Amino acid sequence: MTANPEQDWKDIIHRCFRCGYCKFTYDYSDFNCPSYKKYRFETYSTGGRLWLIYGLITGEISWSQGIANVLYACTTCGNCLENCRFDKFNDFLVDIIEAARAEAVKNGFCPEKQKALIERIENPEMYNPYGEQNSNNEDLKKEYDLPDKAKWVYFIGCTSNYRQTNLRDATLRFLKKANIDFTLINEHCCCSPVIRTGQIESVKDFINFNVAQINAAGALKVITSCAGCYRTLKKDWLKFGADYEFQIYHTVDLVNELLDEGKLTFQSEYKKTVTYHDPCHLGRHMEIYDVPREVYKQIPGIKLVEMKRNRENAWCCGAGGGVKIGYPEWSLEISKERLEEANATGASVISSVCPFCRTNLSDANDIFDMNFEVIDLIEIIDKLDFEIVDTKH
Amino acid sequence: MNAINIIKELEEIVGKEFASNRSEDLYIYSQDPGASLSRPVDFVVMPNTSKEVQKILKLANREKIPIVPMGGGLTLSGLVIPVKRGIVMDMKRMNKIIEVNELSRFVLIEAGVTTGQLLAYLNNNHPDLQPPIPDAPPSATIAGNALIHGSGYLSQKFGDHGSMINGLEVVLPNGELYKLGSCAVSDYWFARGPIPDFIGMFISSFGTMGIITKLSIKLFPKPKLRNIVFGLNKDPTLLPELISKITFTDLAEDILLGIQDKPDWMKGYTFIIVYITGESEEELNSKTKILKKMYRKAKSRYMKVPNRIENIFLEKPQFAAGAADFRKGGGFEYVGAFIPLQLIPEMIEIGTKISIKHEIVPTMGARLIGQGHAAMFFISYSFNRSDPKDMKNARDALHETNKAVLEIGGIPWKAELDGQKMILEKMDPNYKKLLKQIKNLLDPNGIMNPGNWEVK
Repeated sequence: MTANPEQDWKDIIHRCFRCGYCKFTYDYSDFNCPSYKKYRFETYSTGGRLWLIYGLITGEISWSQGIANVLYACTTCGNCLENCRFDKFNDFLVDIIEAARAEAVKNGFCPEKQKALIERIENPEMYNPYGEQNSNNEDLKKEYDLPDKAKWVYFIGCTSNYRQTNLRDATLRFLKKANIDFTLINEHCCCSPVIRTGQIESVKDFINFNVAQINAAGALKVITSCAGCYRTLKKDWLKFGADYEFQIYHTVDLVNELLDEGKLTFQSEYKKTVTYHDPCHLGRHMEIYDVPREVYKQIPGIKLVEMKRNRENAWCCGAGGGVKIGYPEWSLEISKERLEEANATGASVISSVCPFCRTNLSDANDIFDMNFEVIDLIEIIDKLDFEIVDTKH
Repeated sequence: MNAINIIKELEEIVGKEFASNRSEDLYIYSQDPGASLSRPVDFVVMPNTSKEVQKILKLANREKIPIVPMGGGLTLSGLVIPVKRGIVMDMKRMNKIIEVNELSRFVLIEAGVTTGQLLAYLNNNHPDLQPPIPDAPPSATIAGNALIHGSGYLSQKFGDHGSMINGLEVVLPNGELYKLGSCAVSDYWFARGPIPDFIGMFISSFGTMGIITKLSIKLFPKPKLRNIVFGLNKDPTLLPELISKITFTDLAEDILLGIQDKPDWMKGYTFIIVYITGESEEELNSKTKILKKMYRKAKSRYMKVPNRIENIFLEKPQFAAGAADFRKGGGFEYVGAFIPLQLIPEMIEIGTKISIKHEIVPTMGARLIGQGHAAMFFISYSFNRSDPKDMKNARDALHETNKAVLEIGGIPWKAELDGQKMILEKMDPNYKKLLKQIKNLLDPNGIMNPGNWEVK
């Protein structure tokens, strides 16, 4: 749907009845829409947003900064996708909000803070949302002795490459130990942050660049350690018309596959109680819930415990949808609520498979003195001794 | 006082983030999910305590600004859209469950507690008790539903949900706070009397008397097992007698009727949906047997339905909002009327006739109230929100239905402005006089949801 924002979302948006299911957890015990829970005006529920967007379409109301602010105060976590009861409509709710954000941008109402994302990404010195000097990854290739051409490309993603480098390095070490025939490319942002915030004008150029880089590396498979990149490469790139034949993997897919095939065996223990946080981009957006859990369960010594809200019902970390850059304090409040929920499980470790969730949960953990170890699954694996046999990947 | 000063004062009362006159908020609160036309709103405010409600009402009274309380905003008849502009007071921040009394079976809650919240709370903390739940989304508030004579689960056995209210805390337009019911005398919010009962004045008065801040409502024992015995009837004239007989047996926790012309095979039938409860499968089987026999005697027949259909009816709350998506149009009017049992056949005729006239697939139903003393009969007029003509069509159908209901002796439920006018036209003049006198006494400045129940 986001491939062409002018498409059919305008023809179905009036189906929202504003019944309010979108606000809740499955059992209605709590509000699970971070935005509604914070602001409480009906305006800030998914229904409220859809009615505003519909009002804009019919011309009953006109664009304003206030409307744009409502649209941007949404983590696009997808709780509404899970709880809206209208079939062949609920799947599109996040797409509609993103498409409306694209309209906001066109009409000159993109909030200032979110504009920084596109300014940095389009900056030829950067090509990433963090404003860092672009890394063409050549140094990493040398460090890890990686070829120019390989069967796999590890698409690092900006958060891992510029913020969570430990996660990046843990992934690189794992891929090397696993004898994966892989390389790195001079990657530019996958465009997740700008797609989520409706700043889509140059997205196709970025996709084409990245696809060309991957093809030039001769890769048949792309692996990423980032839930956001995974969703974007697998879903959004296609929506934006990308033509590629390589397959997309999350690192957790590969680890699980190796475990299933008996090619990976852990030889040391991780004796901690861990709770897994479902990243929205991997969970609700891609419906992957069991694979990471299967991996955690196979790590010797680990005690995996579930938070009250998990899987389709998980509470968002608060970082997505441009909320971390647009509403930094609120973003951390959302993460704090997740950490409090994790605290109730008795876990000492909160773990996920997304560097962006890791960042926000870590930030909240530090600021609110929550005393958790916040760590990605691949970082846990990196701490372990393991043996890999007979890999032909 | 100008708008800037008023918003400033509202912000001082509830905090800056919970008072708004931003155009985007006003737009959302100027309409509801029904077919009513939008009407302008000047301010939206979300209080967190009774004290804040008192302060807001004092401000509104001083400045003579209309004020409209809102729960879930799901009446579909525009009752929370101001008629004469003013403040919408969204109660949903007042969402504390204050006390559950397991022995006397009541819960004391703030006015913004949703049905979903209370249902989940009881399931998790008091699993042997069940609350009255309307056929509405979980975002409907318990107070909002009870205060419009709502019905739903447990209505057949224990009456409409308004009758389940034990006590109210209410703020009157002058900002004074009153406790009504046993709580006026005792620490227990367990009953409406035995003292003069003023609670009824606040039910179906649509916020024209005062603003409810707390409410005590009855809870009921949750049965160990529940099942549904479906029946199929082709002759509506036999229904009142059959239903009455079922209520005599004390078998039914709830009784619903369903009539719809689509899919085609359903046309011409009334589905009888009887909820039975028990301690064992044996008990359920025995009750099922009795009901099957009663169906046969009334020239109706028992119908075995797939589990997925049964589960739709067993889900709490029932997914009634699905009616809004029948035509993929995002809207329906849920036209309800309280009727005595004998009017059911006529209501089916009226609903069918008006639906067909307005090219809407006939979709109707009824919930029995209070062991057969009444039924809440509803007709669903779905519409396409993107088509103004279609919305007008639904409004016209609603108008005709209200008229027809009143002619045969029923009373439109949660009536929209036109419906209220029609009721007032038919109302006994002295009742109207009394209503006017009470309203004037409580609300001399006419700030409480003015335009509703307006006696000339």
